[in-house]
Amino acid sequence: MTTLQLAPTADFGIFGDAIHLIFHGQQAQTAGRTVGGISAIWDLTLTQLKVTGLAMGCGMLIALPAGVILGHFGRGEFLAISIGNLGRAVPELGLIIFMASAIGVGVLNLTIALTILAIPPMLTNSFVAMRQVDRDTVQAARGMGMTTREVITAVELPLAIPTIMGGVRTSSTNVVATATLGPLAGVLTLGDLILQPAVYGQQGVVAGAICVAVLALILELCLAGVQHLLTSPGLRLARASA
Amino acid sequence: MATGSAPRDGENNGTDAASVVYEHVTKRYPGQESPAVQDLSLEVPAGEICVLVGPSGCGKTTAMRMVNRMVEITEGDIKVGGTSVRDRDAADLRREIGYVIQQVGLFPHRTVAANIGTVPHLLGWQHDRIAARTSELLDLVGLGADLGDRYPAQLSGGQQQRVGVARALAADPHVMLMDEPFGAIDPIARERLQNEFLRLQGEIRKTVLFVTHDIDEAIKMGDRVAVMKNGGHLAQFATPAELLMDPADDFVEDFVGADRALKRLSLMRVSDIDLWEAPLAFVGQATSEVKLKLHRAEVPHVLLVDSQRRPLGWLSERDLAGEVVPEHPDSPAEPRLDRDDVMRDALANLLQSETQYAAVVDASGEIDGVLSVEIISEFLGSPEAREEEHPAAERPHD
Amino acid sequence: MIEALPYAAVVLHNRTNESGCVPDNGLFCPSWAADNWHDFVTPSLQHLVLVAVPILLGFVIALGLAIVAHRRRWLMPPILGATGALYTIPSIAFFFLLTPLIGRGRETAIIALTVYTLQIIFRNILAGLDNVPAGAKDAGRGMGLTQNQLLWGVELPLALPEIIAGLRIAIVSTAALATLAVFVGGGGLGTEIFTGSKVFNTRLIMASLLVMAIAFCFDGLLLLLQRLVTPWRRAVPA
Repeated sequence: MTTLQLAPTADFGIFGDAIHLIFHGQQAQTAGRTVGGISAIWDLTLTQLKVTGLAMGCGMLIALPAGVILGHFGRGEFLAISIGNLGRAVPELGLIIFMASAIGVGVLNLTIALTILAIPPMLTNSFVAMRQVDRDTVQAARGMGMTTREVITAVELPLAIPTIMGGVRTSSTNVVATATLGPLAGVLTLGDLILQPAVYGQQGVVAGAICVAVLALILELCLAGVQHLLTSPGLRLARASA
Repeated sequence: MATGSAPRDGENNGTDAASVVYEHVTKRYPGQESPAVQDLSLEVPAGEICVLVGPSGCGKTTAMRMVNRMVEITEGDIKVGGTSVRDRDAADLRREIGYVIQQVGLFPHRTVAANIGTVPHLLGWQHDRIAARTSELLDLVGLGADLGDRYPAQLSGGQQQRVGVARALAADPHVMLMDEPFGAIDPIARERLQNEFLRLQGEIRKTVLFVTHDIDEAIKMGDRVAVMKNGGHLAQFATPAELLMDPADDFVEDFVGADRALKRLSLMRVSDIDLWEAPLAFVGQATSEVKLKLHRAEVPHVLLVDSQRRPLGWLSERDLAGEVVPEHPDSPAEPRLDRDDVMRDALANLLQSETQYAAVVDASGEIDGVLSVEIISEFLGSPEAREEEHPAAERPHD
Repeated sequence: MIEALPYAAVVLHNRTNESGCVPDNGLFCPSWAADNWHDFVTPSLQHLVLVAVPILLGFVIALGLAIVAHRRRWLMPPILGATGALYTIPSIAFFFLLTPLIGRGRETAIIALTVYTLQIIFRNILAGLDNVPAGAKDAGRGMGLTQNQLLWGVELPLALPEIIAGLRIAIVSTAALATLAVFVGGGGLGTEIFTGSKVFNTRLIMASLLVMAIAFCFDGLLLLLQRLVTPWRRAVPA
């Protein structure tokens, strides 16, 4: 068990090396070829984004309608909440490795694993979001003669968007983080830099960490922007003054 | 503008009550053009209820909250029991002032007993002393001792409000501040609470600053009433009777309402009026005698009474057709009013019962006289009614 | 492109002549589990530490931040933003950004895991404080409670349900996340999941189930704690 150590033995220089690796590449530790460099990093990033996007897309297709409909009718609360709790407790590392072992490696299988990971937060959040819509508002809408579909799309969904998007953002954070472990399932994502110090060296590990962090932050900002766009101005005002 | 004399400090009925004096108090909020309270000066003698009343936004709540420094004074001073509130540490000051608000604000996570014991606990009282005081207070506000272990969520609105009052009284404060305390209650419970608070005040005689927007409540509850208008100005500071009979300006007159005369009835008791007399009859009396009395009477109906002159009912012509007065009269003696009843309630009873005359009895149940709507309206129109002063100390209440 | 990592391909294939659950790398072999459960004791204990310490530390830090943000509202967005950004950074990346600075090992893992709990706990404490009824606060101040007496005696107790809800979410997440401590040599049940050798399903499943069991045990304990410290919520309304 190593003890905590900070400066002067802290290795700040490695961050410089890592940046160099990202932009310019370097000699591989083993085979005599160049690794790193912007285009290689970009490829890894794209793969990670691709897998994340696929998993999120499938997850949203499954979880959001289910959560919204269950939430509207108030059914299946135990299921929705329990799936959320279970999903939180599943260790992602175990999930990825198990999936790789059970159903094999490759993009498809990784995507399946990531989709399973993506569903619980979105399911629970969309359920809760629909349940939390002010009952009086829904009553008023019904009283005006709106059909169920209209109530859901015109009244409940717009009001539920913030919480639903919260679930989407939580999911995406989890998925992009777990996608880093893609190499364990045979998919080369930015995790390759982290999991193969033999090839990329310690600076590779740091480089991978930096890239993953930046990627995750950018993704989160984009989603925050999407949420802002999707949230009606009136709702934004109401939440701000609350 | 401030009228009425106040008893000097020292005449405080032997309780801990202190006087509250506003000296040219002004409150200005930064960024707002006009002050919330403007040059307010008034004196609340110890042991009296002063009601601050006015339309929304007139500054009455702000004025009250400056006494315990929930709102800080911009200019001027407020003296409680002769000491300026600014000279005291705010938290210490507040522990000596009872504070009751409209939402009650009971602590949901503490039992009723723990709520009541909040300030004594802060002041470091012993455990048994707090327990004793808590049961004393629960009794005082008309709640059962078993409610002490309940949580606020288990109480009705009226019960919560009583606990709020008990909590404010716990450390036996010099002054009580009450901000629309009965506003959130239904009218029936509100009237009961008002009456009970007045009864309580009769026993404990605290100095109370009471804020309300309801002029009827102000007149009912206040020994003195301060009418405020928008901009934080004091329009009139007087006893309720003076307010009704002599409004200082058009605003006060409008605010008090066109039904001033009717409002005065809530300041009077039945005994304040000269009642008419009805001819009385006893069971077994000869009807001829009775008919003779009837001939000359103010009230054209005969009242059957028992040997103690307690009313049994009204006799009809059919009753008097026989030789002697029968035992059971045709009409019951309803409504039956008490001498000490508030005149306004008595009038309401009369109108509701659709009878013209109502028997009035005294404390022992003996017939005192008969009241009718006619008597009341005659009285209201009389010059005597216009001049009569109703001293603030005698408050009719149920 | 570098070849795909050998890890994934390292699935235990039956190269022996025997058959049966273990050699065939069946999904879950109860006999193996019964025989080898003591392998998991030390990692489980390590895992407990990796969960309990970050939660406690995270709670203390988040509580401090929340009290500050509660008193000075303008601090809320920056603190929320900072903790949020730290939360967004994938934990594995965070581990490896820390290692050059403070080395590998259990402490590094604990620090990273603590930072992860901050956002959710901070948000929940603030939400709980915001939901305290305004009447209770006004009455409390008016009766002469000082700011601190109001905070500790009224506001925080009433915020407890939301605080504990946040703690429950944080503790379950931390239990799952703590498996990644293996990457920085922090121990825990992650060592039984990512063994560095061929994947043996039973070991993997057992370790994962233990992680989830730890998560739910803590969750249950916190739920019990909540029931204990909030007796007024159980009172049936009149």
